[in-house]
Amino acid sequence: MHTCPRCESKKAEVVSKSPVEGAWEVYMCPVCIFTWRSIEPETITNPEKYNRAFKVNPADIPFAENVPALPAKYIK
Amino acid sequence: MAYKDFRDFLATLEKEGQLLTINDEVKPEPDIAAATKAMSKLGAETPAMLFDNIYGYNDAKVAMNVMGSWPNHALMMSLPKNTPLKDQFFEFARRYDQFPMPVQREETAPFHEVEITENINLFDILPLFRLNQGDGGFYIDKACVISRDLDDPEHFGKQNVGIYRMQVKGKDRLGIQPVPQHDIAIHLRQAEERGENLPVVIALGNEPAITTAAATPLHYDQSEYEMAGAIQGEPYRIVKAKDSDLDIPWGAEVVLEGELLAGVREFEGPFGEFTGHYSGGRSMPVIKINRVYHRQNPIFEHLYIGMPWTETDYMIGINTSVPLYQQLKEAFPNEIQAVNAMYTHGLVAIISTKRRYGGFAKAVGMRALTTPHGLGYCKLVIVVDEDVDPFNLPQVMWALSTKMHPKHDAVIIPDLSVLALDPGSSPSGITHKMVLDATTPVAPETRGHYSQPLDSPLNVEKWEQRLRELLR
Ligand SMILES: [Zn+2]
Repeated sequence: MHTCPRCESKKAEVVSKSPVEGAWEVYMCPVCIFTWRSIEPETITNPEKYNRAFKVNPADIPFAENVPALPAKYIK
Repeated sequence: MAYKDFRDFLATLEKEGQLLTINDEVKPEPDIAAATKAMSKLGAETPAMLFDNIYGYNDAKVAMNVMGSWPNHALMMSLPKNTPLKDQFFEFARRYDQFPMPVQREETAPFHEVEITENINLFDILPLFRLNQGDGGFYIDKACVISRDLDDPEHFGKQNVGIYRMQVKGKDRLGIQPVPQHDIAIHLRQAEERGENLPVVIALGNEPAITTAAATPLHYDQSEYEMAGAIQGEPYRIVKAKDSDLDIPWGAEVVLEGELLAGVREFEGPFGEFTGHYSGGRSMPVIKINRVYHRQNPIFEHLYIGMPWTETDYMIGINTSVPLYQQLKEAFPNEIQAVNAMYTHGLVAIISTKRRYGGFAKAVGMRALTTPHGLGYCKLVIVVDEDVDPFNLPQVMWALSTKMHPKHDAVIIPDLSVLALDPGSSPSGITHKMVLDATTPVAPETRGHYSQPLDSPLNVEKWEQRLRELLR
């Protein structure tokens, strides 16, 4: 498990490893679906340095607008 | 002459000096996106780029900026690469009128070489990478997405081929942005009303005619495949999918078969868009991939999108301008000369027209607002005289600076529809629109001092031709 730089959940997992062994790994966060590569700049990989304007609060995710809108039968 | 597949087009670009191969090792991020953005800054005649030495990969190849310049756009139509922009516009308009060109069906395709149905992992199959720093993940943004009308599945024209942004959200999972105005949103709506998933096919790495047709605003029942045939002047080749009745571009490098999941919305984005702004943080539909095919050692074609101009703007410049031109000509066949709707997909459009009487140019501008494309774009329409080339911005600026009177020639219409991605719209999807009449007043509009327009010395055109030859 890895910490998501964007929403800071601790649940991110490895989804891919470089074909050349040991070069990099790709992680994905199941909470905010952020995806990143281990060798990206720190402004992407480090939760402390991730651009504040693009941070995601997990509590906001369920309230994101549906685009396109869902037909009535799917709305609980 | 048609290109048989993506590789055939790349070979032509190389032969014409319009393909730069980067053999030096690059990192997936930020190098590939940075190099592509930098290439866009070098002008309007830049080459495509092929990266074949990417850190961490053994034999991945990534093609960028494939149609990111006017020479490459000319070569898309098999025209000489130095064909002037206005000539490309008129040639595209001529071919657009050849629609529909029947398709050619094939039984097998090169992408059948490798087929994967178990343990699909898109992150392993495609050399994916981030484009812009605020992007929520790795995207696919130049692929053809194919779907059918569920209420009229036999109607070939209602099968849609479109280009949508897709976020890779899992090993076999994509998020997709079908804006309500897009044709695929109609298909998704039908599927969700029935409670069924919508079969879709995604084709990556195509020759450029289908990419151009897929990015052309066509009517709902017009086939992009029949338009691609018209653009390339030969029947377009397609092959059937295995899991559905969908038709696939024969020459694709990689094909994903799957289904749009009915009733599912999931957090998506942000993604840097063609408006030069990010959009995202909304919940969007999801595609589950069930089958992947690809050629041996596939080339991954990707598109950098960001602050204009980038490849997108070359890709949707002429093919946005021509439908607007044709629709305006339906209303005013003898007056409309040319249309340049190349700025941010036509949020700004420039129309060159003759005038029959005072007020006519404003009517032309208003008509543009009510064309199908105008309903979502054309926030600013500039109308110029027939002798002003709308593709020549210094000439357009001259017309604005000398012909336009703000009191009489600036018309603002409040609260019209616009695409929701327009960052200035408020609420999202609503904006005022403006027509600027930069044509010379004609009777009964008699204001201004326009009776002595400058002519040129005799024989300027002859000299122009002679000088071109001398300078060759
Ligand atoms: Zn997260």
